[in-house]
Amino acid sequence: MVNYILRRLAQSIPQLFIISVLLFSLMQAFGDPIATLGARTPPRPEDKARLRRQLGLDQPAYIQYLVWLVGNDWMKIDKDGDGVPETPGTRTGVLRGDWGNSLVTRRPVLEVIGDRLPNTLLLMLTAEFIVIAVSLFVGVYSAIYKYSWFDNFITTSSFIGYSMPIFWLALMLIYIFGVNFKRWGLPYLPTVGMFDPQVGKTPVELAKHMVLPIATIAIISIAGYSRYVRSSMLEVMTQDYIRTARAKGLSNWKIVMRHALKNASLPFITLIGLDLPFLLAGAVVTERIFAWPGMGRLFIDHTERADFPVLMGILMLIALAVVIFQILTDVAYSFLDPRIRLS
Amino acid sequence: MYRALQSRLSIALLSGLLIASLVLTACGGGAAPTDTPAPQPTNAPKATDAPKPTEPPPAPSFSGTATITFVQEPDNLNPLYTSMFFSSITREFWLKGLWSFDDNAEPVPQLAAEVPSADNGGLSADGTTITVHLREDVTWSDGTPVTADDFVFTHDMIVSEKNVVQSRYPYEDYVASAEATDAHTLVIHLKEPFAAWQTSLFTYVLPKHVLQPVFDAEGTIDNAEWNRAPTVGVGPFVFSEWESGSHLIFKANPNWIAPPKLEQVFIRIVPDDAAQEAAIIAGDTDIGVFLSSDQIAKLEEGGLVDVVAVLSGYNEGWFLNVNPETAHPAMLDVNVRLAIALATDRFTIVKDLLLEDINPVNATFWDSNPPWGDPSIAPYPYDPEEAKKLLDAAGWVDSNGDGTRDKDGVELTLRYITNQRELRKNVQAVVQQQWALVGIGAELVNYSSDVYWNGYNDGGPQAQGLYDIAEYSSTPNSFPDPDASSGWLCDQISSADNPDGANWQGYCSEEMDALLKEQATTLDREARLKLYAQIEQLMYDEVLYVGIWKDPDLWSIHSRLQNVRLSGVSQFWNAHEWTVAP
Repeated sequence: MVNYILRRLAQSIPQLFIISVLLFSLMQAFGDPIATLGARTPPRPEDKARLRRQLGLDQPAYIQYLVWLVGNDWMKIDKDGDGVPETPGTRTGVLRGDWGNSLVTRRPVLEVIGDRLPNTLLLMLTAEFIVIAVSLFVGVYSAIYKYSWFDNFITTSSFIGYSMPIFWLALMLIYIFGVNFKRWGLPYLPTVGMFDPQVGKTPVELAKHMVLPIATIAIISIAGYSRYVRSSMLEVMTQDYIRTARAKGLSNWKIVMRHALKNASLPFITLIGLDLPFLLAGAVVTERIFAWPGMGRLFIDHTERADFPVLMGILMLIALAVVIFQILTDVAYSFLDPRIRLS
Repeated sequence: MYRALQSRLSIALLSGLLIASLVLTACGGGAAPTDTPAPQPTNAPKATDAPKPTEPPPAPSFSGTATITFVQEPDNLNPLYTSMFFSSITREFWLKGLWSFDDNAEPVPQLAAEVPSADNGGLSADGTTITVHLREDVTWSDGTPVTADDFVFTHDMIVSEKNVVQSRYPYEDYVASAEATDAHTLVIHLKEPFAAWQTSLFTYVLPKHVLQPVFDAEGTIDNAEWNRAPTVGVGPFVFSEWESGSHLIFKANPNWIAPPKLEQVFIRIVPDDAAQEAAIIAGDTDIGVFLSSDQIAKLEEGGLVDVVAVLSGYNEGWFLNVNPETAHPAMLDVNVRLAIALATDRFTIVKDLLLEDINPVNATFWDSNPPWGDPSIAPYPYDPEEAKKLLDAAGWVDSNGDGTRDKDGVELTLRYITNQRELRKNVQAVVQQQWALVGIGAELVNYSSDVYWNGYNDGGPQAQGLYDIAEYSSTPNSFPDPDASSGWLCDQISSADNPDGANWQGYCSEEMDALLKEQATTLDREARLKLYAQIEQLMYDEVLYVGIWKDPDLWSIHSRLQNVRLSGVSQFWNAHEWTVAP
C-alpha cells in the first residue's frame, strides 16, 4: 500500500510539470496585467513601459516561465532601464517555495491564497457535508420507496433546483430572506458578507451569514448527487445477494445499510473524490453575490487583471489536490470493496 | 404509469406556482417598512449635497459604525502601489495630504497651515518654487510629529528606481527637488511652472519613521508590511484591520487635529452590483457607490436612502479619429465630422437610457469640471436635415443605392468602438439606427477593457488608430484641475516611432499646441479660464470631441448616517463630522 502511494506520487511529478508548462502558456493569452492596473483611467505610457521592465514582463514568455520555476537569483536584471542588466535578481522560484508576488496586490502569492483558503473551506466543506448527507438520505429513501409520493416530490423539486441559474437563485434568496422578510417584520437573514460589523465576528454571526450561500449551493447540487445515489441504490437492490440477505431474514435496515449502501456508494465515492479538489476553487458565483471572501472570487478578480502569478498558484494548487484526491479515492476503494487490491 | 406521470405533473405545477409566488413577492417589494422610522421626503438628486450644519464639538467620545460597500477591493493601501479609485478614497480616513478638497472642490488645508499662493508668499513669482508651511501640531497616529522630512521621503520613494511604483506623475515630469528647510517648512522646486500643482502634489505623505528602516534593510519598500497594514497613519481614523476579500476597518484616531465622532468605519467588499443594491435597500450598508441612474428609483423607494450625484470630472463622450494615416477618409473633413454630430440625437439617448437631470448632454470635455467648461458653448443640436446637406456638399452621396453614402468608391461606413459595457452597446445600437436615417453606416466593435486600453505595441485599437469614433467616459488628468493636454499635442501622436504617445486621435495643429502648452504653465486662474474657453471653442469648431452625457459618480447614503458631504476629489474629506443616528 505504502509502495503504491509512493509510486503514484512519483508519477505525479512529471504530470504536474507538464500541467505547469501548459498553464503558463495559456496565461499568455489572458491579457496584459498592466493595461488598466484597476484604475478608472489607464496608466500613462511612460509608467507602463517602466512597470513592464521593473516587473520583468518585457521578457520573452519562456524566460518568465524559467524565472517562475527556478527564480532569477542566478542572473542579473535591468532595474534602471539603461538596457544593461546590473542588479542580481531576488526571486528563488516555485521549486524553492517562492511563488512570486501578485501583480495586483504586490504581496506573496502564498499569502494571498492563504488568506482566502480557510474561508472557502469553511463554506464549501460545510455545504459539501450537508449536500452529501441530504443526498444520501434522499437518494436511499427514494430508491427504497421508488415512485412513492415522496420520491416524485423529491424528483420534481430537485430538478427544479438543478435547473435554476445560480445567480438568480442567490439573488432571490437575498431578496426573500434578507430584504423582504426584514420589511415584513419577520426574522430575517443577513444579505452579504461574513458578519455584522456592529456585532463582530462571532460563531453565531458566521453561521447566520452562511445560511443563504450554503442553501444556494445545496439547492443546486443536491439534485445531481441524490439522483446518483438513487440510481446506484436501485441497481444494487435488485442484486442476488440482496435477495439472499432478505431470505436470511435480515431486517430491512441492515440490508440497506450493510449490504446495499456499502456497495452502492462506490460510484458515489468516485464522484466525491473527483469533486473534492474543486472545492478548493470555491464557488465563483455564490461567493461573488454573497460577498464571501473565498477562492472563487480571488480567481475571478485576478483573472480580470491577468495576474498570472496568483492564477498559476491557484491552478497548481488545484492540480495538486486532484492528484492527491485521486490517490485517496483509490485507497478508499480498497477499504470499501475487499475485491480491490492496490499493488 | 399514466397515474404516476399525472401526479408528477401536478407536483411540478404546484412547485412552479410556489416559486412563481415567491418571485412575485420578491419583486413586488411594495410593502411599507415596519421596523424603520417614518420615511423622510426623498430629495431629488443634485450635483452636490447641500452643506449641513455641523454640531458644536462634543467631548472626545466615539460612537457608532459607518458601513460602506466597495464593489472592488483595494489592491494595496500604500498610494505608491495603486491608482485604484477604491484605494484612494480610503485615504481621507487615514492618510491625509497637504490639503483635501471639499464638496465644492475647493482646497481645505490639512497638514499644511494654509494653501500657498502668490499673496501669502507660498508661490514664487515665476511659479517654480512652492513653499508650504506645515501645521506644527499634527502627529502621526502613534504620536510621532509629522515633519517636512516625511514629505521629502515621500518624494524620494516615488522617484526611486528601487521601488516598483504605479505612477511617478507628476514628480518625474515637473518636480526638480523637494527640500525640508526646517522641520515644518517644505520647499518644492519645479522644473517649470505647473498649473495643476494644487491637485497633484503631496495629496498624501508616507511615515518616514516607519518606512525608512524598511527601505534601509530591504533596499525597497515594495514589500513593506505597512503597505497592507498601515497601522500608523495621519487622519481622523487609523487602520485597524483588513481581511482579504471581506472588509477593512478604520478606528477613530483621537490624536487627529479634528477627532471624529464615529467609533469606526467598516468597509465591506461586495463585488456584485445586484448584491450591493440589495444590501443598500436592506439597510446593511450606509454608503454605496458606482451606482447607475436606473437604480435610483428602486434605492430611494423606501425613503431611507438618498442617492446623490457628485461631479468628479467624468463625461461620456466620443473621441474622433482625425489621423490621416489611420482614419476613414471622410473623418478628415470637418464638415463630415459636424454632420456625424448633428445626425446623432444624444438628447433622446439620454432621455431613454439614463436620467436627464443627472446625465444631461455635455458640450465640452470639461462640463463636469466647473468652472472650466465654457457655458457659452452648447451641445451640437440634433439636426439630421442639416447633416444631410453637409454630407451632400462634401460629396458623400449614395451613388450605388445601397442606403449608405459613398464617394470615389469608398462607402461612408464608420468604425465605432467602445468597451463591453452594456449601456454603451445600447448607445451604439441606437446611434447605428440614427445614422442610417442620414445614410451613414456604422461598424460596431466592442473590446474588453484591457484590450481597449492597450498601448500601441500591444495592439491597442485606440492607440493604433483602428477606429473612427471611440466612446468612453473620461476626465482631465487631475480633477478638479482641467489639464488634459497630452491628448491633443502634435508630439504625442502615437505611432510605431512613438508607441508611448498619448494622442490617440492623431490631431495636430499649431494653435492647439500653443494653447495647451500655455495653459499648463499659466498659474493665473482668470487667464487660464480664457485659454480654456479658446481651447474648447477650437475643439468644438474642429469637432474633435462630441459630448454624450455628464457622468457624475452616484452615491447612496442611508439616512442613519448624517453630515456626509461628499467631494468629487477627496470623497470622504469631512469623515470626522459624520455621525450615526442612534
